Amino acid sequence: MQKLTQKALMAFCVVLLAICLSPGAYAQNLSVTGQVTGKDDGLTVPGVTVSVKGTTQGVITDAYGKFALNAPQGATLIFSAVGYERMETAATASPMNIVLISANNNLTEVTVVGVTIKKRDLTGSIGSVSEKTIRERPTTNVNQAIQGRVSGVLVQNNDPRPGGSSSIKIRGNNSIQFGSNPIYVVDGLVIDGNFNTINPDDIASIDILKDASATALYGSRGANGVVLVTTKKAKKGEGKIDYNAWVGVQSFTKNIPYLNAQQIVDLRLDAYANRYVDENPGADRNAYVQSLLNPAGSAAFGADELKVYNAGQSYNWLKEIRQKGVQQNHTLSFSKGSDDGSSVYISFNYTDQKGLLKTSNYKRFGGQINLDQKIKPWFKVGTNTNFTRTEERYIDGGVFNIASNANPLLAINDSIPYLSWKGIQSQDLYNPLRSLRIDGQGNQNRLLTTNYAVVTPTPGLNIRSGFSVEARNQNYFNYIPRDLGQSLRNSTQGSATHKKENWLNWQWDNSVSYEKTYGKHNFSGLVSFGLTKNDYDYNQVDAWGFATDDFSYKYLGGAFLKDKFVLGSDFVTNTLVSYVARFNYSYDGKYFATLTGRYDGSSRFGNGNKWGLFPSLALAYDIAREDFIKGSKLSTFKVRAGYGIAGNQNIPNFAYRSLYRPTFTNGSVTYVSDGRLGNPNLRWEKQKQLNLGLDLGVMDNRITMSADYFIIHNDDLLMQRTLSSTTGFSNRIDNVGSLLNKGVEVNISAQIIRDKDLQWSVSGNISSYRNRITKLYGNVDAIYNYGGFTGVEIQREGNLFLGKSLNSIYTYKFEKIAQESDMARTSQIDYGGRTIRPGDIIPVDINGDKKIDDADRIVVGNTDPKFYGGFATDLNYKNFGFNAVFNYNVGGKRVNYLYESLLGGTGEYAAQTDELNRWTPTNTNTNIPRAYRGSGRYGPGETDYSVQSAAYLRLSAVTLSYQFTGDFMKKAKLNNLRFYLTGSNLFTATGYKGYDPEGGDSYPTARMVVAGVNVGF
Amino acid sequence: MALATVLSGSCKKFVEQEPQTALTEEQVFSKLDNIEPLLLGLYTSWRNTRKDRGGFMFTLGSDEAQQGAYQVQTDDRQAGLDRYNGFLTASNTALAQQWDSRWPVISAAARIIYSLGLNKEEGTRKNTILGEASFIRAALDFEVSQYWGEIPLIDQAKFTEYGTRRQALPLVYQTIISDLETAIKFLPDAQSDKRRATKGAAIALLGKVYLYAPEASGLRDYAKARDQFKQLVDGGRYQLVANYGDLWDPAKPNSAESIYEFQFNNTYPDNNQTQWQMGSRSLADIDQYCYFGGYDLMVPTNYCYADVSAGGIWETGDQRKAASIRYDFTYKGKTPVLNPSFGGDELDPHVKKYEDPRTDGTLSFWLSGKNIIYMRYADILLCYAETLNETGATVQAVDLVNTVRRRAWGGTLPTEAAWNQGMSATEFRTRILDERMRELCFEGWRRMDLIRTGKLVDLVRQRNKWAKQSGTIQPFHNRYPIPLQEIKQNEDISETDQNPGYSNN
Repeated sequence: MQKLTQKALMAFCVVLLAICLSPGAYAQNLSVTGQVTGKDDGLTVPGVTVSVKGTTQGVITDAYGKFALNAPQGATLIFSAVGYERMETAATASPMNIVLISANNNLTEVTVVGVTIKKRDLTGSIGSVSEKTIRERPTTNVNQAIQGRVSGVLVQNNDPRPGGSSSIKIRGNNSIQFGSNPIYVVDGLVIDGNFNTINPDDIASIDILKDASATALYGSRGANGVVLVTTKKAKKGEGKIDYNAWVGVQSFTKNIPYLNAQQIVDLRLDAYANRYVDENPGADRNAYVQSLLNPAGSAAFGADELKVYNAGQSYNWLKEIRQKGVQQNHTLSFSKGSDDGSSVYISFNYTDQKGLLKTSNYKRFGGQINLDQKIKPWFKVGTNTNFTRTEERYIDGGVFNIASNANPLLAINDSIPYLSWKGIQSQDLYNPLRSLRIDGQGNQNRLLTTNYAVVTPTPGLNIRSGFSVEARNQNYFNYIPRDLGQSLRNSTQGSATHKKENWLNWQWDNSVSYEKTYGKHNFSGLVSFGLTKNDYDYNQVDAWGFATDDFSYKYLGGAFLKDKFVLGSDFVTNTLVSYVARFNYSYDGKYFATLTGRYDGSSRFGNGNKWGLFPSLALAYDIAREDFIKGSKLSTFKVRAGYGIAGNQNIPNFAYRSLYRPTFTNGSVTYVSDGRLGNPNLRWEKQKQLNLGLDLGVMDNRITMSADYFIIHNDDLLMQRTLSSTTGFSNRIDNVGSLLNKGVEVNISAQIIRDKDLQWSVSGNISSYRNRITKLYGNVDAIYNYGGFTGVEIQREGNLFLGKSLNSIYTYKFEKIAQESDMARTSQIDYGGRTIRPGDIIPVDINGDKKIDDADRIVVGNTDPKFYGGFATDLNYKNFGFNAVFNYNVGGKRVNYLYESLLGGTGEYAAQTDELNRWTPTNTNTNIPRAYRGSGRYGPGETDYSVQSAAYLRLSAVTLSYQFTGDFMKKAKLNNLRFYLTGSNLFTATGYKGYDPEGGDSYPTARMVVAGVNVGF
Repeated sequence: MALATVLSGSCKKFVEQEPQTALTEEQVFSKLDNIEPLLLGLYTSWRNTRKDRGGFMFTLGSDEAQQGAYQVQTDDRQAGLDRYNGFLTASNTALAQQWDSRWPVISAAARIIYSLGLNKEEGTRKNTILGEASFIRAALDFEVSQYWGEIPLIDQAKFTEYGTRRQALPLVYQTIISDLETAIKFLPDAQSDKRRATKGAAIALLGKVYLYAPEASGLRDYAKARDQFKQLVDGGRYQLVANYGDLWDPAKPNSAESIYEFQFNNTYPDNNQTQWQMGSRSLADIDQYCYFGGYDLMVPTNYCYADVSAGGIWETGDQRKAASIRYDFTYKGKTPVLNPSFGGDELDPHVKKYEDPRTDGTLSFWLSGKNIIYMRYADILLCYAETLNETGATVQAVDLVNTVRRRAWGGTLPTEAAWNQGMSATEFRTRILDERMRELCFEGWRRMDLIRTGKLVDLVRQRNKWAKQSGTIQPFHNRYPIPLQEIKQNEDISETDQNPGYSNN
C-alpha cells in the first residue's frame, strides 16, 4: 500500500510538474482550429493574425485561411488583418468559421495591372474613397466625387461646361507639362483620358496610390500617381435590384460686376479727356468732353452708342444666351452573388445635362456587366465590361466670352455679324446670338472591357492571364452657317467640319503569384509580364461653300469651294512592354516588407533609351501588435516607410526624331519640318520618392489619424523647350532638369457620437507641398515660356527658374499708383518709352539702376497653395442623415487675366465695377489706375497688379437624406429606400475677383441643387 | 531559357514603333527624291517671311512708309519701329518675330547643302538643288545681316568652329558671296517652276551684295557689282514691261521684268493677307469685301505720296504715282467719311501696289494673294546705274535711269523729265535715292538703301511722321537689336553681344 501510495504520489507529482511546466496548459485547455473567410467574396483569408486576448500567444492563418492553436477555455480570440475590421470572438472547441468584414466596407481585392491583389498588400501611401462617400455627392463625374476627400489630391473643376471634366493632381506637380495627371486604372485597364465616361454609380471604391511603393506596379506610368477605380461586384446572398436617380438644377455661382452703359460712357469720357489734357496741357477739358457727346460726330462714341446713352438704356448680352441648366441621372442595377464566389452585376445608366448656355447639352448612356464565374474549383473566369455612349451639343468657344464682355451701349440685335464698340464692328467679335446657330455636335462610343482567367492548381498559387481592351471612337461635327461673321470673315460661304477619331488600346497581362505561410512567416510573390499597345487614328474634313444651310454638316458632297477643302489624317501606334516582380514578406502580422521591381520598355524613346528599371521597397511595422501596447488606448499604431522610383513617358510621339511631313502648298508637295528638333537622347523621366507614414487609432479606432511625409526627387524632367531659332527648329522635347517636391499630408477622422439613434462623425484632411527646381540643363538658370500674339513674348507663367517653384509667376512688380508727389522720383527713371503720370501704375525698379528693363522682372510669387484639403461632417439621427463636405485652399495665387482685361481703363471695352473707384485728381487714395485712352503707360497686365490670392473655402456639397427602415420596408418588400436633397457649390468664400479661384475665368462655375432617390429591392 | 530569349527578342521589336505619316530626318536627307520637295518647302518658308504683317516690318520706320495712326496709338512695341524710342529694344516682339521666322529657313538650307555633300547620286539635279539651297541661304543671310549686322553663320560642316555666335562682317559677306557663286555656277538660266531661283536671280543678287555690303565688311565693291549687273543686262533675258501698271496686275504675274517673285494666290495658306495690312480701315468699315479695305498697318509717308510741288517726289506725268499709291477712296459710288474715332489718316493716300482686285466683292481682303516681287529688272538697272556712277561712268548711268523713267512716262520721256547727262556724280548720288523710291516704293529695298548710303537717320527723321514726332532716332538705329529671347536661348550670344546703343530690355 505504502508503495502504491508512493507510486501514486510520484505519478501525481509528475503530472503536476508536467502541468506546471507546460505553459498555459492547465486543466481546461482547448485545441482550437478554424478557417477565416472574407465576408464579401467568401474567399479564405491567409495571413490573418489570430491571437489570444490578454496573452502574447498567436498564430497566422495559412494559405487556406486555416489556423490552429491552443487556448484556455473561455479565452477570447482576436482576428486581425490589414484591410479587415478587427474581430473578437470566444474560442470554441468545434472548428471555428470566422468571417471577417472588410474595413471601410471596401472590397478586399483590387485588380491592378495583370494581377489581383489583396488591398492590404498595397503597401505605401494610399487614400481611399468608399462607395458610401461617392454616394454623398451626386455627380456624373468621378473626379468631383473624390474632391476634398483624400489628402494630397487636388481636384479642380476647371471645365464647368456640361460633360466637362475636372483636373486632378496628386502631391502637386511632379512633371512639368507631359502627363502631369495621374493615370486611371479601371478594373485593371490603364486609361489616360476621358474619365467622365465612368459612371460614379458603378464604382465600388476608388483608391489613390500616392507614393512610389504604392504605384510600383505601374512603375513606368505612375510618376504622377494612380487612381484605381474598382467597379461593383455582387455580394453573396439574395439578388438585388437597385435604382438610383437624381434631378438637379444649375445656375452660375457668380457673375462679374460689369459697368453698365452709363458708367462705360463716364469711363470713356474720362479716358479721352485725360489723354487730351495730357497732350494739350491747359486745354479746356469740359469743352472737349462736351464735344465728345455731340451726336453729330464724336471721336469717342458711335452715333448708336450716344442714342442708347441718351435714352438711359443699358444692354446685357450675356442674359440673352443663358438658360437654366437642368441635369438628371438614372442608374438601374441588378446583382447576385453565389456561395462559390461567382457573381453577376449589371447596370444601366442615363445622364442628361442641359448646359447653362443656350443650345449646349450633354447626354450619356451606358451599361456595365461584371461577371465572375467559378468554372471549376481551380478555375475562374470573369469580365468587367462597360459600354458608354455620349452625345454632346457644343457651343462655339467664343460665345460666352464675347457675350459677357459685350458693349452695354450696343442694342441687342441678332442681325449684325459682328459686335461693335464706338460704332465700329470688330471682325473679332462674332455676334454671340448668331454664333448660337453654329451646329456643333459630338458623340463618342467607348467600350472598356477587362477579362481574365485564373487557374489555381494548388492553394496559394494563381496563374492569371488578363486581356483588356479600350475601344473608343469619337466624332465631331460642326457647321457654321453662311451669314455668320465667321463665314464672312473667312469667305467660306458656310463651312462644315467632320472629325473622326479612333482609339484602340489593348493590354495583355500574365502573372503567376504564390503565397505561403510557415509558422509566423508569410511569403507571397508574383512575377508578371505585360504588353500594351495603343493605336490612334483620325481623319478630318473641312469643307467650304454651301448653297444652303439646310443640310448643316450632313452633306459634304454639296460643298462647292473644292480648292479650299482641307483634309487631315494620322495614324499613330505606341507600345509598352513590362516585366514586374514583387515579393512580400510579413512576420507575425507585425513586420511587413514589399520589394517590387519593374522593367519597362517604351516605344516613345529612341534606341538605347527605351528601357527603364523602376524598383521600390516598402516597410511597415505594426506596433499596436506588440505586447507593450496591448491594453493601452492605442488600437492602431503603425509606421510605414517606402522608397521607390516611378517613371513618366507621356511625351509626344517620336519626339526623339526630327520629322518632316508633306504639305501641299504653293503649287506642289513640299516637305516641311514640324518645327521640333528630334532628341535621340530622350530618356524616361524618373521620380525618386521617399515616403514616411504613420497610422494611429485610439479608443477602438473611433479616432484615427494617418499622416504621410514625402520627399520626391524628380529627375530628367521632360518638357518641350523653345530653341534659339538659329538651330533651325522652334522646339525640342528634352530632359531639362530636376525638381524637388516635399510635402505632408494628414487625414483625421473621428466618430464623435455613436449611439443607437445618433451618430456623428467628422473627418478632415490637410495637405501641403513645396517644390523647387534644383537643376536645369547645362549652365542655364532659367527656361522661358514664349507666347503671346507674336509668339516671342516671355509669358508670366510657365517659366522655369533654378531654385524657384515650378509654378512661378514672373513679371514686373507693381509698386503703387503714381501720385503727384511721385513725379519727382519717377522722372529720374527710364521706363523704356513709357510715361508715368499721376494715376498710372508704377513698376518697381528692383535693382535700383533707374531703368526698368529685363533685369527688373522677377518671380513675384507662385500658384502653389500653402496648404489645401477638405473636411466633412456626417450626422445621422434615426433615419435622417445630414452630410456636408467642404474644400479649402490657402496661400495659392493666380494671375487674374480676366480682371486685368476689365481694368484697361479705356471705356472702349467691358469693365469691372472697381473702375468706379479709379484714380482721379479728387480720388487719389485708391489702387485702381486712372482712365486713359491710348498707349504709352503700364497696363495692369505688365506687372503683378492682377496677381490675386486664390484662397477659398467652399461648401462643395451638403446633403440631407432620409432612410426608410423597419416595418414599412418589410411591407413594401424593399431593402433600401432613401431620399435626399443635395446642394453643390452652394457657397464659396474667396477674395479672388474672377469667376472662380479654381475654375478659372473662361466660364463660371455652376451651383446645383439636386433631389434624388435610392431604391433597392 | 529559350522561351525567355524568344520573348525578349520579340519584345524588343514590339517596342519599336516608327512614324507612319512622317519622314525622319535621315530619310528626308537620304536621297534627292526627298531633298527636292524639302527644297520646295524652303522656298515656301522663305516666301512666308514676306506674308502678312511680318512682310512689312522692315519697311516701317523708313522715309517712304510708316504705320497708320490707329496702329501707332494701339501697339507701343510695333510703334517703336517708327518712333525709334524706348520700345525699340531687345524685347521688341515685332522684330523678334522677323528674326525667328528667318533662321529656320537658313538652317534648313544649310542642312540641305551639307547633305548634298554626302550624297552619292549622279546627275545635274543634285547641283541644281545645291545652287538653289545656296541661293536661299545667301538671300536670307544677306537680308538678316543688312538689318542686324554680325550674324551667326549656319554651316553643318563647320559647326564646331562657328557654333551659333555672331561672326565678323567680312566672314559673313564672304560666305554670302561664296554661296551666290555656287548658285551662279549651278542654277539654270530659266526654271519652268516660277518658285525656283534662276542663274539670273543669283547674278542680280550677287551684284546687289557687292553694292550693299557694309563698308566694314571690306567687300563693298562697285566694280564687281557693276560687272554682275552688266552680265545680267547683256544676257538680254530680262526687259522692262511696257506699262508700269502691268507689274501690279494679278493677271500678269512673272513678267519679263521679274527676276524673282514670291508666288501667292487667293487660297489659304497661299494667300498673303497684304491687303489686310495695307488697306484702309474706313473701307473695311463700309464693306469687308472691298478690295482696298484693310487695317492701315503701313501707309506712305507724306514725302512718298506728295508731288514735288508739295515737298514730295512725284513729277507731272509719272505714271508710277497712280500705280503705286491710292488717292481716291470712292467705292461703288460711295465716298467714305472719316470716322472721328479712327486714327485720322485712314483716308490719306494708301499703298496700292498690293491691291488684289480679284477679291473684290467675293472674298475678304484677308485672302488677297497677289505675287510679291523680290527682284525685278528695273531695280537692277537702277543699281547698275549707281555702280556705273561710282565707277566714273555717270553718263551711261544717267542713260540707264532715263530708260527706267521712259517707261514711267509711258514710253516717251519728255525732255523736261529726262535726266541730264551732264550731272555730276554727286548729284546723281543724291537724286538716285528719290528715283529708287519712285520706282521701287514699298517693295522692300528702302531700308537697305538708306543704311548703305548712310541716310537712314537724316531722312527718316525728316520724312517719317512718327520718327519726326518722337525725335529720338540715332545712328545706332542703323541696326536692329538682337532679340532678347535669342540672347537668352543662344548659348553663344550673351548680353554683351548686343548691338551698341540697345538695352537688353
